[in-house]
Amino acid sequence: MPQVRMIAEQVRLLSEQTDRFKTGRISVSMALPMDERMAANSLLIFLLKRSCKEYPDFSLLNGKLDELYGASLSASVSKSGESQVLTLSLTCLDDRFALTDESIVEQCAQLLASMIFSPNCKGGSFGAENLAAEKRLLIQRIEEELNDKRAYAFNRCISLMCSNEAYGRPKYGTVEEIQAVKMADIYAAWKNMLSTAVIQITVVGSSNADDVAKIFEKCFSKIERNPAKTETVFIRRGGHFNRYEEKYPVNQGKLVIGFRAGTQNSRDNLAAVTVMNDIFGMGTYSKLFMNVREKLSLAYYCWSKFIASKGLVLVEGGIDTNKEKKVSAEILSQLSDLRNGKTDPEVLESSKRSLKERHTLTTPESICAWYASQVLEDEILTPENIVEEIEKVTMEQVCEAAKKLSIDTIFMLSATEEGETNED
Amino acid sequence: MKIKQIKNEKLGDSVFCALHESGLEIRVMPKAGYTSAYAVFGVKYGSIDTAVKNENGEFETIPEGTAHFLEHKLFESEDLNAFERFAKTGASANAYTSFEKTAYLFKGSENIGESLEILLDFVQNPYFTQQTVEKEQGIIGQEIRMYQDLPDWQVMFNLLRALYSVHPVRIDIAGTQDSIAKIDADLLYRLYKNFYNPANMVLCVVGAIEPQEVFDIVDRCIKKTDAKPAERKFEKESAKPVQDYIEERLSVSEKQFLLGFKEDVSEPLLSLEDEIASQIVLEAVCGKSSPLFKRLLDEELIDMGFGSEMFNGFGFSCVMIGGTSSDPQKTAEIIKTEIKRQQSEGIDPAAFERAKRKFYGRYIMCYNDIDDIANMMMNLYFNGYEPFAELDACKNLTIEKAQERLNTVKEEFSALSVISPV
Repeated sequence: MPQVRMIAEQVRLLSEQTDRFKTGRISVSMALPMDERMAANSLLIFLLKRSCKEYPDFSLLNGKLDELYGASLSASVSKSGESQVLTLSLTCLDDRFALTDESIVEQCAQLLASMIFSPNCKGGSFGAENLAAEKRLLIQRIEEELNDKRAYAFNRCISLMCSNEAYGRPKYGTVEEIQAVKMADIYAAWKNMLSTAVIQITVVGSSNADDVAKIFEKCFSKIERNPAKTETVFIRRGGHFNRYEEKYPVNQGKLVIGFRAGTQNSRDNLAAVTVMNDIFGMGTYSKLFMNVREKLSLAYYCWSKFIASKGLVLVEGGIDTNKEKKVSAEILSQLSDLRNGKTDPEVLESSKRSLKERHTLTTPESICAWYASQVLEDEILTPENIVEEIEKVTMEQVCEAAKKLSIDTIFMLSATEEGETNED
Repeated sequence: MKIKQIKNEKLGDSVFCALHESGLEIRVMPKAGYTSAYAVFGVKYGSIDTAVKNENGEFETIPEGTAHFLEHKLFESEDLNAFERFAKTGASANAYTSFEKTAYLFKGSENIGESLEILLDFVQNPYFTQQTVEKEQGIIGQEIRMYQDLPDWQVMFNLLRALYSVHPVRIDIAGTQDSIAKIDADLLYRLYKNFYNPANMVLCVVGAIEPQEVFDIVDRCIKKTDAKPAERKFEKESAKPVQDYIEERLSVSEKQFLLGFKEDVSEPLLSLEDEIASQIVLEAVCGKSSPLFKRLLDEELIDMGFGSEMFNGFGFSCVMIGGTSSDPQKTAEIIKTEIKRQQSEGIDPAAFERAKRKFYGRYIMCYNDIDDIANMMMNLYFNGYEPFAELDACKNLTIEKAQERLNTVKEEFSALSVISPV
């Protein structure tokens, strides 16, 4: 069981102490509303990762990480419901492996805190060159999303589906918004993040979390906190159904079907929807794997994904463009079977066993990610808690959860005729 | 079975090794405090195996992509397929094929012994018909198409095609639509017989399991044969690349590049010491704290994805450096100039020490993850090394050795692969 304590208003420190790993991991997740400041927030987190007051240059900071036995630093921006979550994480070697008498973990915690609280910022400026460089890198990162057509199609379906909701906004902000960000906006975003973000610091490893807590407590004691939690809108039923298509010169088309899960909040009917989604299209015993792939050879991958924080289920597959109708008809027919209880009871048992297995977290990264994703939840759910609920799910509940799925949007990334090499 | 325990004091971990009478090597690392175990059953048969020795002792060419095709097919059987069997134990099973091996694996926290028996059983019992082979051609056909659209994948295979003229490292892991069309059930049975024998395989298990339990299960489940390891054909390459530039247009937003330097190898395998020395010296020259990285970033020629890799295996060895760039040619020139400068002036001792320290840390970090450990143990075995050999190779590395490895990087043996937007 993890230990949880509050170290400032809406700043939670969650630690799982264990000495079975050779590393320590600290992750700081900061949740903010999805509004017009998203672009400045995204640039901010990458600027904080670039350098800090103590190591005011990209090479110096990375040199320090190398010296700390290859401590690995990462920054990310993600969506959790209708909040933008900025995350800065460090994984480092445990103290017992140091070649000299030093505490690697404490140095890393200190470094992470100073990156957040003492950035490389003079008189409100993070350096014009640094900002220009991070703008270029972020815009390139957004443009490169197109390179991975699977991820692109998946995200495109979500943004089309939720175009009238905050969730439809791109997680980094748009290219135009990024270009328009001024230095004053970054400074304001930094101040705003420190005072209003809902924050969770997640610590996994053998180190004493008290030491990490002390470092961050001291930093937060100087900040006036006015945090505000964002409410996420859950749309329970898809309205007018839409199909969108974009053409690219590719070999394989990507089909994405977006459903509303019918849930009202991130924990609503969580276990039953999780099992339903798993039987629909996650496991190797799932309906989509068994039929779309194994029986009909229509795809190498065709699976479904449940996004609990927004109440969405998305099905995606890499297929031949000219087979779209056949594949979507098969997906819907499988859903219909699921709703009508045409599922082997053995599959329900397989799903429960497999879900239990997948909730047995074996790496510090996966444990840290499990808890960090709960930054906005009032109550912490352990993997054991959800497994216990999953084990109680009945076939009737699975059918009911499947009946609540309502189709909302289809996005098809099609191969242009020149791109399509397949003749059949 | 004679069991040998190899302990690493620093890590506090032990590996129990045994050679089963069937010829199967077994390596087990129990991990205290872990609730799951990961097992990988590997066979030395990968995409570079495009020739098999026939009864006359001659190498005979086989279609491209057979190792991968067989990997897909072994999951099937006459009654319950492997996935259905693992569904009963709860373990998650999977498999992958790389240039030099095929690996079957599972991860589980309950019924681990039972899952291990299923793993050993399904890999030892091939079953396919012409009909199931044809069904798989459709699925693998989609897999090939998926990879054809991935720029990271294409930029690497194009580079390999530019560097290598005869070595099969230049072909796609899954083969091509045409080559897989030539595969039939008879061929698969013949290849199975050639490669899948215990003397050509290894079993590595890591996590919540007692070594003796693994040895007992192997003893019960592995069929004894007198087969010998399959012989691999060594395709001696000329030092010169086929071409020094290769470009393909794909639906991407910005150019991607990979600069490769081919090494002139006289022996099929590079030593582990040489491999690790190369990785560390590349980190010192191109890593995030290097002057080269900073210069390329300041000149807006790269992004954070820029990196380097030592890429080597049976009969091939090259250095790969690349990422996304608005001007791959200019970036490649700057990289080559920097390598030449460090060859003549010598590498910076501080940068070398930093890189070595980073690798020391990263190698230890690998021992967190039961997946990583088992796969690493398998690779070490296939290349003829004892467990933990990489830690010693890293610890004992000298700057002289690193310099020597950097000096093998030759501009005249380089090629540049570029993916450009359509």
